[in-house]
Parts: sequence; C-alpha cells; structure tokens
Amino acid sequence: MRLIHRSHRAANAVRTVSPSGELFVASIVICMILASFGDAVDPTWFGEAGLEFAIFDLGGEFSVLAMRHWHLLELLLAGGVMAAGIMILRIVAGAFFRPLDPADSGAVEKVPIKL
Amino acid sequence: MELELFSGAFFSALLAIILIDLVLAGDNALIIGLVARNLPKESQNRVIFWGTFGAIAIRALMAILVVYILAVPGFMLAGGLALVWIARKLLTPQDSAEESHLVKAPAASFAAAVRTIIIADAVMGIDNVLAIGGASHGSILLILLGLAISVPIIVWGSQLVIKLVDRYPSVILLGGAVLCWTAYGMIVREPMLVSWFEAHPAAKLVLAVLAFSIALAPWYAERLSESMKPLTVLLPAILIWMLGFEVAASVWKVQADYLMATTQGEYLMEGLRWIGWLPLAALFLWVRERLVLRSARLARSPQ
Repeated sequence: MRLIHRSHRAANAVRTVSPSGELFVASIVICMILASFGDAVDPTWFGEAGLEFAIFDLGGEFSVLAMRHWHLLELLLAGGVMAAGIMILRIVAGAFFRPLDPADSGAVEKVPIKL
Repeated sequence: MELELFSGAFFSALLAIILIDLVLAGDNALIIGLVARNLPKESQNRVIFWGTFGAIAIRALMAILVVYILAVPGFMLAGGLALVWIARKLLTPQDSAEESHLVKAPAASFAAAVRTIIIADAVMGIDNVLAIGGASHGSILLILLGLAISVPIIVWGSQLVIKLVDRYPSVILLGGAVLCWTAYGMIVREPMLVSWFEAHPAAKLVLAVLAFSIALAPWYAERLSESMKPLTVLLPAILIWMLGFEVAASVWKVQADYLMATTQGEYLMEGLRWIGWLPLAALFLWVRERLVLRSARLARSPQ
C-alpha cells in the first residue's frame, strides 16, 4: 500500500485536484511534449532544405527547437510561465467579453429603453 | 550519461527523485503495525527497530543493484515500459481504502515479523527504486541522495507526506507526469534503440505522446464525456499502430515513407499505415457499443 493512499484526496487526485494545480501540471506536460518535439526535429534539416532563414530570421530560436534537451527544472519553470499566461489571458478575455453579455431583464443595471 | 555536479541537469534529476520518493513511498508504518500487533510489548519495539533497519538495508541493496541491472541491454526499455504502467496506476482513482495484501496475518515470532516487514518493503520499493534508477542517469551520488531522502520518509516523514498530498493533490499529477517523462528518457536511452532513434527522430515524438497518453489516461478520462471515453483506448492504439509500421519498416527493410515509395506495394503499405486503422477503430467502437455498453445498460434497467 502506498503512503498517498492514506489520504482520500490524494488517492483520487484526478478528481480532487484544484483547477489552478491542474492547469500548472497540464502546462508542464505540454512543455514536455514540446521538448520531445524539439528532440525529434534536427535543426540541420533546415539547412539541408535551404530553410536556414526559418530558424534565424523568422524567430525560430524561440520555437520548440530551443526546447531540445530541456531539464525538468526548465520544464517546470516554462510550465509555470505558461500556466500564468493562460490564467491572465482567461481573466483579460473574461473582462473583455463579460460586458458583451446582455444583463438579465430583471437586473438592476438593466437600462430601460422605451422607443 | 554522466551528470555534471551541481548543474541544471543534476538538480533536475534530484527534483525528479524527490517527487518520485514522495508519490511512490510505501506505507511501512502500516505494515509494521499489522505484523507486530499480536507480539508482546517488549518484542514490538525490537520489531519496529530491526524491521525499519532491514527495510532501509534492502532498499539500499536494491538501489545499488538497479544501477547495474539498468546497464544491461534491454532492461532500460523494460524499466521504462514498467514506469509508464506505474504512473498510470498512480493516477488511477482509488474509491475505497486498499487493504494491504502483503501482510496476510500478524506474525507469531520476532524473526517472522522482521522477515515479513523486509519482504513487504522490498515488494513496495521495487517501483520506487526502478524510477530512481531511471531518473538518476546512472549517477551513484544521486542514488545515494535518493536513498537519503526516502529513508526519513520511511521512518518519520509519513504524516508530513500525507498532509502535503492531501493539501495539494496536484503533486500526484506532477509525480505521474515526471514518472512518465523519466520512462520516456529511459526508453530513448536504451542502448539497443539509441541508433534506431537517431535514424528515426520523429519516432521520439510519437513515443512521448504515446507514453503520456497511456500514463495520463485516468486523468484525461475524468474530463471526457461518456461518448469521448473510447479516446483513452483509441489514441494510444493509433500511436502504437504508427510506431509499429516504423519498426516493421526497419526490421523488414520496407519503404514506409510515401515520398520515397516507388512500387505499388510500397504505396499500398503507406495507405494501410495512414488509413488502415480506421476499420479497426470502427470495429472497436461497434463491439464496445454492442457488448459493453449494452450489458451495462441492461444491468442498470429495472427488472
């Protein structure tokens, strides 16, 4: 029996995890897959294909190719930054779209318009 | 691969080992309690001391052995596959408190009690030692640090670990992801497959997604609707299908790349590779609908 199974919340982690914790771990998993994608692509192929500009001129150095052989610490940091970015994006998008939703007909802020 | 001392890679491996120690720690206190409950009071203290000492000794022996075992060709691959399954089991929800099957009955004598504790710890610690062996990249220093961290958890830290994972269940998910990442690293570093992966770099990406799709299936299955649940089987199956063609092309020296295909047989092979899984997926969904879901519906319907 594992130690973590003494806690019901930990034994059912996939059900009890908080949304922010889940977003953080999901971001790390995405970074791990992107790093393996960086491992799968050989940058010298770009040179052989005559596409060096794709790496050096079009911001290729910021692409997944830069994530080749990343360590766990780098992946954790990148996952944290990605999770924070997604959370900020959600808040900003929410703040932008919420005023576009019509208020309920009985709501206090509803402006009566009579034609 | 030798890790440079106090480098980013070294601390990353150490962090992975700490996480693995946290999530795969066995409940030794429970085992000791179960084994020693019928012994006299004075024997119980001796059992606790010698049982814990024996458990630590056997853990150290296994950790040293695993470094040499993983150096044998084939064992890195087997260990990596085992770790994927261990990560999956770790994330699978446990609805009821699991009874320890390692202890059948309380021990009648001091020697029997110590022996049962040591055997139970060895069985519980196999996955932990295997994962630490994979995460340490063969570094004896990291193995020793892993032991130095897991021993206090065995002896004193159980309540601390329980409180931590109870407050932050995401640690378990992170542990599962790190186990899977370690498994991917072990498979890619397998001496028999290194040259093959260098010749087929795209297979690394397929392998990584395959490992995550199997290990994290309990997690994403929780978030999928009932109609999308078959994805937990279909996604790994399709990736295995793709990887299988890549392996078969290497073993039987067949051209599986359509850009380089020249004969009709090679084009047929390529077609089979990309769309051949569709009838099998349809068959799986049909059988699932006919057999599994129908029987579940019948069982739920009132008599």
